[in-house]
Amino acid sequence: MGMLRIISKRGDDRLLWNAEDALAGDAEAKAAVQEAERIFAKEQAKGATAFRVEPGKPIERVEQFDPQAEQIVMVPRVVGG
Amino acid sequence: MNMVVVGAVLCAVASVGLILALGELIAHSSYGRPEAKRRAGELLRAVLTPDQYGHLMQRGHIDIASPSDPDRIYRVPKGPGRVQVREKGRLTMWLCLQPLERVPEADLLVMHKLMIEADEETYLRKANRFSPTFWEMRERPDLQ
Repeated sequence: MGMLRIISKRGDDRLLWNAEDALAGDAEAKAAVQEAERIFAKEQAKGATAFRVEPGKPIERVEQFDPQAEQIVMVPRVVGG
Repeated sequence: MNMVVVGAVLCAVASVGLILALGELIAHSSYGRPEAKRRAGELLRAVLTPDQYGHLMQRGHIDIASPSDPDRIYRVPKGPGRVQVREKGRLTMWLCLQPLERVPEADLLVMHKLMIEADEETYLRKANRFSPTFWEMRERPDLQ
């Protein structure tokens, strides 16, 4: 299962998908992946930054949505305070 | 008599409006939402290493090693506030960086951790920098 977590005032908004089922052609799983990709692009357009966060691996900044990612965390646009 | 009734109705309508407005304000404040705090706490636990989480609970901050400089750490406070940059154990700079959107406190820590570890260059470029003052050095030996 993959998870997109978007940090917001609500804590974080989460979206789950099953990459294996999507690859196998499951329509619902494919729709979930497409929805995650759409939200990823929408948040990125608003200035959010995405990070791939997986246990035991270094955190990595990502520019493209990867359905194989276990977890992607998106941080809203930041400014110097 | 009619004026009294109209006045009472207007007063009741105004009161209901005020209550609804206050409810809306509270509902949209992350600080007043236990659910937002709980979710932010879950994400923080998922992102921090067990050592960092333990350190945070005990000392109220986390130290994040710079990926580019082995002598540098970033000391991020638990709550809102500036981040210390420490080199060879000494405070050299304060940094201030915040999201445009108001988020729960735990999410601020997550933001600092992700950006420092995965995109330190952008983090340093976006953050406002402040030099430690003589007063801070003199009055706050804990900073040294």
